[in-house]
Amino acid sequence: MVGLSAAERVYIEDGIAQDLRLDGRGRQHFRSLSIQTGVIPQANGSARVRLAGTDVIASVKAELGSPQPGRPGCGNMFISVECSPTAAPEFEGKGGEDTNLELAKALQRNFLGGASGAGAAIDLTTLIVIEGKVCWELYIDGLVLSSDGNILDALSIAVKAALSNTGIPKVQVMGGLSLEEADFELSDNPEEFSHLDTAQVPVTVTISKVGRYHIVDATAEEESQVSSAVSVAVNSKGLICGLTKSGTAGLDPSILMDMISVGKRVGLKTISSVETDIAAAERTLEAE
Amino acid sequence: MARRARATQSYSISGRRAGDFSTKDAIQPLLSPDGFRLDGRRPHICRPAYLRTGAVTAAAGSAYAEFGDTKVIVSIYGPRESKKAEAFSDIGRLNCSVKFTTFATHIRGQLSQGIEDKECSSMLYKALVGAVALHTFPKTTVDVFALVLQSGGGDLPVVISCASLALADAGIVMYDLVCAMSASSVGRQLLLDSTYEEEKGEDGGLMIAHMTSRNEVTQLTVTGQWSSTRLSEALEVCLDACVKLGEVMRTCLKEAALGVPQ
Repeated sequence: MVGLSAAERVYIEDGIAQDLRLDGRGRQHFRSLSIQTGVIPQANGSARVRLAGTDVIASVKAELGSPQPGRPGCGNMFISVECSPTAAPEFEGKGGEDTNLELAKALQRNFLGGASGAGAAIDLTTLIVIEGKVCWELYIDGLVLSSDGNILDALSIAVKAALSNTGIPKVQVMGGLSLEEADFELSDNPEEFSHLDTAQVPVTVTISKVGRYHIVDATAEEESQVSSAVSVAVNSKGLICGLTKSGTAGLDPSILMDMISVGKRVGLKTISSVETDIAAAERTLEAE
Repeated sequence: MARRARATQSYSISGRRAGDFSTKDAIQPLLSPDGFRLDGRRPHICRPAYLRTGAVTAAAGSAYAEFGDTKVIVSIYGPRESKKAEAFSDIGRLNCSVKFTTFATHIRGQLSQGIEDKECSSMLYKALVGAVALHTFPKTTVDVFALVLQSGGGDLPVVISCASLALADAGIVMYDLVCAMSASSVGRQLLLDSTYEEEKGEDGGLMIAHMTSRNEVTQLTVTGQWSSTRLSEALEVCLDACVKLGEVMRTCLKEAALGVPQ
């Protein structure tokens, strides 16, 4: 946690009121973002995202499994997060567990859609190999290497980049038409893989309320002054894909709706710049 | 016991424009063609609720809540001395713990052996802490122990509402009661106060905890895809339901205070 003096607190709050924050940004500006894809050779897809002092990695591992009972036409996605104690001493032991769980839960809300499988970031029906029997399971793991505020948004961008980077091995389905006879063969040619359709993958934008004003991409110092925050996941169509309120203070419903609409507006802007950055990162990777 | 009281009432959200989420073509197994849910409710009707304070004699305060098949009991202990391991705190602490019984679900131990109780505990804390006047019990801890006896859907909102009723019963100073409600989006319909089956088949879900007199939202989570207009309409329906639930909870507390027999 950040310990601030009364004068520092006033300085932060007044700066936000005047639309000029500590690092010279306006209230609705993100810090400079850097995206690097393909950073983990063992994973099917991976990305590292740096948002000034916040540094996170996301990896996607694909495994063959079976669909969940009740939704035979859908593949599975699992998300977990680990905050390394190397990033901050409070992530050590039990404190880390709670943060991990909270971040993972927020990402699950934003990327996994409803219980029926509808509204997930990746169309889960595209992960089916043999309906009702075999499907791809995507294990998404986030790792926080260094934290300077706004971990959730950085993680969501890293997950989006890692999913865009993910290659799923080609599978050849053979055998009869009935479920029992159907069989498949996994291609062992490393060049033969397909990409996921990541057009609908959202990014999360956290709108924090400091005093009477809303800011995006809060630094650790600013986060210590936040009374409540709303994390909104927005996809490129402008749909809200998940929402989590954090902070203990209550919010008037009209202010809440305001924050959601700010989140949506900033989210749409962020998503297009993130998509450009991901495409650039992929091109650099191919050139290497 | 004199302070036991009853407030059984099913309440409807009749003030809403009925056609908001309904379309004739949305044929979902969770909803009959003529617009009834599996348990015979209309989409914007809550389950019958039964609330009672003073369910546990040993506790400083307690409450029992039954919303359809969801049955929850919450006990409050304290304010009492904080654990020695905790750092010094000028204001009081709220310690929330939610447990599921092994027989709460159809499959034994489905919710009691995972991380669900941990998740629920942290959600319960975040929903309640903004409503409790922590400065009125400095250096001490109030324990909120919730037990889900039967999980019939919408467990977390029932736990939150029941816990705030129990806190009031224990005489803990609060700014307001916290009323919570969930809703499921299925096709183009919004099903208020969803059951277990509806939660399993939902395309999106929403859970809100609301302080009705102060008109402040303490907790909100949304899953699935929503357009902004649809989300704000759904929020309105849920907030409406929270206000109605708040009235039922207040009646329950008043009856308990007046010693109205069951």
